[in-house]
Amino acid sequence: MLLSWLFPRGKACAWCGRPVHQGFFCTSCRQQLQAWQQHYHPCLYCGRLLPLGKQAVCSQCREELPPFYKARAVGPYQGLLKEMIWALKYQGRRSLANPLGRLLAGVVVRELGPGRPDLVIPVPLTSTRLRVRTFNQAELLALALGQELGLPVNGEVMFRVRETAPQVNLSRRSRWQNLGGAFQVTAPGKITGRRLLLVDDVLTTGATASACTNALLAAGAAGVAVITLATGIENLPCFSP
Amino acid sequence: MTVAGSYAPVFCWQGFVYLVWGDRSGRVGISHNPGLDRTFWLQRGYRQFSLLTPPLPLGTAAFLCDWLQRRLPLKGEPPLQQAAALVNRGRLKLGLPPWGAPANTLPEPRPAPAAAELALVQKNLAGRILWREEIALALAEHKGAVNTPLEDLLHWLYLAGEVTLLPGVGYDSNGEPRCRRCGQASRLLKVACAACGSGDCLVCEGCLAMGQARSCRPLYARPCQAQAARGRPTLDTRPRLNFALTPAQVDAYREAESFVFQGKEKECLLWAACGAGKTEVACGAIAAALSRGRNVLYACPRREVIRELEVRLTSAWPHLRILALYGGSPSKFGAADLILATTHQALRFYRRFDLVILDEVDAFPLSEDPMLYYAVARARREDGQTLFLTATPPPGLVARLRRRQVKVIYLPARHHGHPLPVPEILRDPFLSRPGAKRLPRSLVNCLDLTLAEEVQLIIFVPAVKLVEEVVAWLLQERPGPDPNRPWVQGCFAAHPRRDEIIAAFRREEFPVLVTTTVMERGITIPRLNVLVLYADEERVFTANTLIQMAGRAGRSPAYPSGRVWFLASRISPAMAGARRQIQEFNDLARRRGYLLVREK
Repeated sequence: MLLSWLFPRGKACAWCGRPVHQGFFCTSCRQQLQAWQQHYHPCLYCGRLLPLGKQAVCSQCREELPPFYKARAVGPYQGLLKEMIWALKYQGRRSLANPLGRLLAGVVVRELGPGRPDLVIPVPLTSTRLRVRTFNQAELLALALGQELGLPVNGEVMFRVRETAPQVNLSRRSRWQNLGGAFQVTAPGKITGRRLLLVDDVLTTGATASACTNALLAAGAAGVAVITLATGIENLPCFSP
Repeated sequence: MTVAGSYAPVFCWQGFVYLVWGDRSGRVGISHNPGLDRTFWLQRGYRQFSLLTPPLPLGTAAFLCDWLQRRLPLKGEPPLQQAAALVNRGRLKLGLPPWGAPANTLPEPRPAPAAAELALVQKNLAGRILWREEIALALAEHKGAVNTPLEDLLHWLYLAGEVTLLPGVGYDSNGEPRCRRCGQASRLLKVACAACGSGDCLVCEGCLAMGQARSCRPLYARPCQAQAARGRPTLDTRPRLNFALTPAQVDAYREAESFVFQGKEKECLLWAACGAGKTEVACGAIAAALSRGRNVLYACPRREVIRELEVRLTSAWPHLRILALYGGSPSKFGAADLILATTHQALRFYRRFDLVILDEVDAFPLSEDPMLYYAVARARREDGQTLFLTATPPPGLVARLRRRQVKVIYLPARHHGHPLPVPEILRDPFLSRPGAKRLPRSLVNCLDLTLAEEVQLIIFVPAVKLVEEVVAWLLQERPGPDPNRPWVQGCFAAHPRRDEIIAAFRREEFPVLVTTTVMERGITIPRLNVLVLYADEERVFTANTLIQMAGRAGRSPAYPSGRVWFLASRISPAMAGARRQIQEFNDLARRRGYLLVREK
């Protein structure tokens, strides 16, 4: 007791437990999370990662632009970030939600431009899946992000109307079909004419984000930007769990 | 670990605290299905039944039940008002927000479960502590089926005192939360839980790898029957070893046997030299325990060791049912005469084993995780025994040994009868770091000696980044004949080609491997010297670590006189301590006449 008072322990990395001087993650973890920036840049629209020096827009967006005006992510769905998302989502390591939400806040400030969103909305889970998992990881991330940026968060504006098969290993087209009409806005009055920030853990083909955006725009939202922890890399298959 | 895409429902215990009253006295209870409790208590003459709370998560309900039991007068007339006031005080003690009034309507009594189903569940839970979902898996593994909801059967057994019902995360009598699965109080989070709807559900992050432990999730535990009730087996329990034990092993084997037969001491340490064959000696204790019909657990922190042991012990006891439990093992609940398990898997046992053998007691992750010690201690019966196996006991265990709280058995000699290689301390006050113009003279000497004898060398360094630096340094100074086949390579725990490099080193494809302490255990190379570079880095190289690293040399009869060098700019206490302990073991082996060859 006396020793811990005399020599208080410093902050520990939220992931590996090593000492931290600033922020939530240690230098080593931070470096691993940022390493992709030396090789990739985000697609102008959907935020999927493209090799540096190549085109500014991914092949998917050249074919058809997504309904949201911009999507950005903390990094690619691989390595340490993938492990962290796995631990949060499937192991239930909720203590990661706050540090990861702060990382999202940093990306919002850097990447989404000066237009401040009016409301943060997490991608909802069905009630059955929510009871099984006991929490919605997107909502935890949205709450941490909202707290960091002083933005209001509302997880009850939209709900998932029906169960959809888990998206693991589904192709892009199958995901679109799987999610058609899956989301419904319950309180259109709260979003009419407002700029929204949609939060999710992983953006893969963009099917979930697009389905949510379509529902929000149909209900009167002025515009939707998307922020996720991870995204795919062009030409690399990335199947979120 | 929960599998992605698996959305099987997890039973969430939400229930009531109630008061049940007979002719003269009453009881406080908790139930997720009060109709079942009404039946149970009506059968025992308790007719008046009152709910005291609305549905609550198990952690809260269990605390209030205990709180009321210790404060409420349970004789005379039912003190309903006093109970309501105490419930409110208990809620305040936990710092929970107010909840609604309890329901006025009483649930109808439900039929009692069938005795055969109760017996089946009881049998499958014996000696274990499991979630409801794990009990369902155990039943499925044993092809047992029940028609009554499993949680109702378990609750009935709880009412009958046959099963202990615990919240995944519960409160002690002072209202302090603690994880009932892993025993830790340090990594608990208060969260909003969509399963129970509470905003104050406690979740433990300390044992997440084994599934979520939370306030609203029940754990069911049942101790194993006493050994006397189980009777003596008719099996032949002598191990069939396909080699003869050395005199040192025979002595230690007999001592291990008598530790179990006499049963005087609760704990014993088998303190063996590295590579002395402590597993064979542990077989003595296992055989002695099995011959008396006792339950035995062989636990170890590392999965690879358990898998390797399964093969060895199956050949020693071909007629016994041996069950190996580790992450990903095919069977988790099979019947067995002898159970081998990683220390994580021991979390699923409850007061089951009369003898627990705990191997590599100082190895990661056991050495740094109190949860795993807790798991092993809970797996043992209260009157059970523990045999610790290690070459390098942790300081706490050594201190208890000195206070004579733990019996000790020494196994100081290797099977080939040669003394342990005593580390040669090479002190170089100006020992340079990697990248300096010239390699240190002492390092060059060690390399030359090794290469001249045509044996292999492991160079241990104290940090991951030094691995690449030292490899580059050596190659820069001595490029070797073929740049495509470097004579020195490096690896560390997270190295992408770790297994490949180790396999190539084992195949003698290159003579020198630079590595970190990750290789201090579990590797046996027949003709090997060991060099610990910057051995005075005490934060990494403790005396125990140095002993383990030195223990890699001289293991095989092909090259029993392997050399060990500690190269450093000063002599650290750890270096001196490691050398002293190895010398003491050699002295002991010589005094007892275990050495076939004179020490150099």
